[in-house]
Amino acid sequence: MLRAIFLSIAGPMILSGQAQIPSSPVALKGLSLEELSQIEVTTPSKAPSKAIQVPAAIFVITGEDIRRSGATSIPEALRLAPGVEVARIDSNKWSIGIRGFGSRLNRSVLVLIDGRTVFTPLFDGTYWEVQDTNMDDIDRIEVIRGPGGTIWGPNAVNGVINIITKNSKDTHGMLASAGGGNEDQGFVNFRYGGGNGNGLDYRFYGKAFTRGPELHSDGRNFDDWRSGEGGFRIDWRKNDRDTFTLQGDLYDEAAGESVQVVTYAKPYSWIVDSNALLSGGNILGSWERTISQGNDIRIQVYYDRTNRHESNFGELRNSFDFDFLQRIALPAHQHVSWGFGARVDPLTDLPVVSGLTFLPLKRTDYLLTGFLQDEIGLVENRLTLTLGSKVLSTNSTHGLNFEPSARLLWTPNDKQSFWTAYTHAVRTPSDAETNFNLSGYSAQAPDGTPIFARFIANPNFAPEQLNGYEIGYRQLIGKNFFIDTTAFYNHYHDLFSEDIIGPIYYETDPAPAHYLIPAQFGNGLLGNTKGVEIAPEWRPLPFWRLRGSYSFLHMNIGKAPNSADVGSAPGIVGSSPAHQATIESAFDLSKTLRLDLTYRFVSALPAQLVPAYSTGDVSFGCRFKPQLELSLVGRNLLQPSHFEYGGDPGPLVGIRRSGYVKLTWSK
Amino acid sequence: MEQITARSEVWRTLERAASRILSTCLALTLIASMQAVEQEPLEYRVKAAFLLNFTRFVEWPASAFSDSEAPIAICIMGEDPFGGDIDQIVAGEVVGTRKVEVHRIKTPPAPKSCQVIYVGKPDPGAPATLSALGPGVLVVGDGDALLREGGMIAFIIDNRRVRFNINQSAAEKAGLKLSARLLAVARSVVR
Repeated sequence: MLRAIFLSIAGPMILSGQAQIPSSPVALKGLSLEELSQIEVTTPSKAPSKAIQVPAAIFVITGEDIRRSGATSIPEALRLAPGVEVARIDSNKWSIGIRGFGSRLNRSVLVLIDGRTVFTPLFDGTYWEVQDTNMDDIDRIEVIRGPGGTIWGPNAVNGVINIITKNSKDTHGMLASAGGGNEDQGFVNFRYGGGNGNGLDYRFYGKAFTRGPELHSDGRNFDDWRSGEGGFRIDWRKNDRDTFTLQGDLYDEAAGESVQVVTYAKPYSWIVDSNALLSGGNILGSWERTISQGNDIRIQVYYDRTNRHESNFGELRNSFDFDFLQRIALPAHQHVSWGFGARVDPLTDLPVVSGLTFLPLKRTDYLLTGFLQDEIGLVENRLTLTLGSKVLSTNSTHGLNFEPSARLLWTPNDKQSFWTAYTHAVRTPSDAETNFNLSGYSAQAPDGTPIFARFIANPNFAPEQLNGYEIGYRQLIGKNFFIDTTAFYNHYHDLFSEDIIGPIYYETDPAPAHYLIPAQFGNGLLGNTKGVEIAPEWRPLPFWRLRGSYSFLHMNIGKAPNSADVGSAPGIVGSSPAHQATIESAFDLSKTLRLDLTYRFVSALPAQLVPAYSTGDVSFGCRFKPQLELSLVGRNLLQPSHFEYGGDPGPLVGIRRSGYVKLTWSK
Repeated sequence: MEQITARSEVWRTLERAASRILSTCLALTLIASMQAVEQEPLEYRVKAAFLLNFTRFVEWPASAFSDSEAPIAICIMGEDPFGGDIDQIVAGEVVGTRKVEVHRIKTPPAPKSCQVIYVGKPDPGAPATLSALGPGVLVVGDGDALLREGGMIAFIIDNRRVRFNINQSAAEKAGLKLSARLLAVARSVVR
């Protein structure tokens, strides 16, 4: 939604697979203005980067990068960004962390698709298996490491992932692809787009896939995955002042999972392998108006519905969201942005098992936000100070929360920039902390009575707090070498903890009678993290791009004084890698052939019992006819399988060596 | 039995298609490895074609020409990034009744001698402001900064394509009329 203010980075990338246009001087002289405007004059590896001007640790994954990598899902595409901890748990689940705190439902990374927040307040996190779109329609993914609360909203504590699809004026024509392999067993994608040549453009898409299970040493191949999705987007540029967008998606999928089910009756606790039934849809409308030069407004409304049915719980959530944004240029090189928004989520939780309940079952979550930010050009084009704050309130925050930030950008010349930032960000309490009762079976007493531990809903759970300090430096060396380095120090307090809140007691309701160890999610942890991220990019030849990244993370999390935490800190610290490194090579063998190689190293996750690993991907593309491309993609090639993250009950799931063949037709 | 034959027929067709695709790809790979990948002067070739196109969508006042027969002169000032391509593109072109010509100049031109000026990398002797190039001259160059200095059309690379932005008030000040189509194709227009 607010991307226009903070970052408006790379322009839309190309339609994948456009027909070759004759390029000799004589051929060019016959082309119209419109045709000339459509000729690609640089190779993908030359796409210009404006990131040098942004006072934040941003990396932009372009649609072209995604296409070249052969990634078939958004989480896999996120591996292209430096410093993002992408770990595949099984075929359809991921842990995605930025600057630590990796977990399946990462509570501190905010995720948006075209301005629609897909981070759910249910458990606070993003269900990645239902965040999908036609991969060819993704214009770019902006990954911001570090807090972005002022602009982006609550829960942008450790990072923001902002997925932006192409304007439908850039997706005219037909694009169809199909393929399959050992893991990505079969997939089809279809898109058609067009326009009336007078500012109105549209597209619609459909996709479906089936994916096999990863490697299970116990043979319980529960994580197969089938999905179907469709959607549309209409963009209307009514005149020079008004632009409208209407878009929507519908999906339905069955994602295999293995979950622990707990009941107070026998057999108390067991594991169920079945499908999570996941469906939903959304519709979003936005209006942008230029009131005058340097004065724009944007209004956005959306409705989003998610249905989740698992073997141990279910939820139906409806979200209604409204946002207003204005950006005004003022004298003395100032750009003021302000806005406000509201989101209301009426929802229903479905009771499935007695060991996992939400109370009350029918609730309404809400979020109210406002923000003001001023970007002040202290020295024109050279020194810029950005000051701002968000103010927000939710159904569970007990009052107003502020997210102030200050950012300073110094660009001594067009080839280098220094920036530094101080940011305060909050993570708002989730339904899981404030309305949720979760039991675990622990043992049987000598008399045969079962003993349970239960996390009892904590209506007083407070927002988690972060004070973040960052510095960054970017430099373009010569024409072909770019380096981006960032260092950060984050201080957290009121972090999520797992507390024992009293002595064991005998409980008769819910029946049958049992002993209970009362526990609660609290705010009993605090600590700090520090790290460094280095991302060089080198183009030794016009048709060859090399990229690398290295990130270092040190987490120091512990109990706050007087905390009753059971000792959950080592599990947090040991679930994010201290070291990550990647090397990527993008090579255009000719205009019709490309070869992309990736190598990555991730250090061990002691809390997940995952050893350090390194592996590699290969993606080869051959446009053997102007309208047809064959691609061969191999992933995780360096070993038959490796572990990336725990999370499922039972032994770790091995992520297998995999490959697929794909044929793409475009017209 | 018939089914099996039908299926193996399908397989054979698929196999043939696959081997054809793979051999095409292999051949392309071999060709690619034998020849150096061509450099890309395409950007300036496209810009040259745009320059020619602009002459068709701009209306000059009669006072911009020395007489009614005078050609439309595209003048490249300073460094010439086009090489011979622009001469090939412009050769033989006529707009209305006027021929289009290309000149290369080092210093600001005499009045009425250039109708389009492409400002390459500035020479030390370049005028302080581009509007000093006079009325009746369409000033074109690279990068948005040009528009702030009085230029009228600035090429930019957007989405890997050559696009252009227009400063319409500068054009009006110079007495030039830009057609609606030109304005429509521009990525943005400063009024």
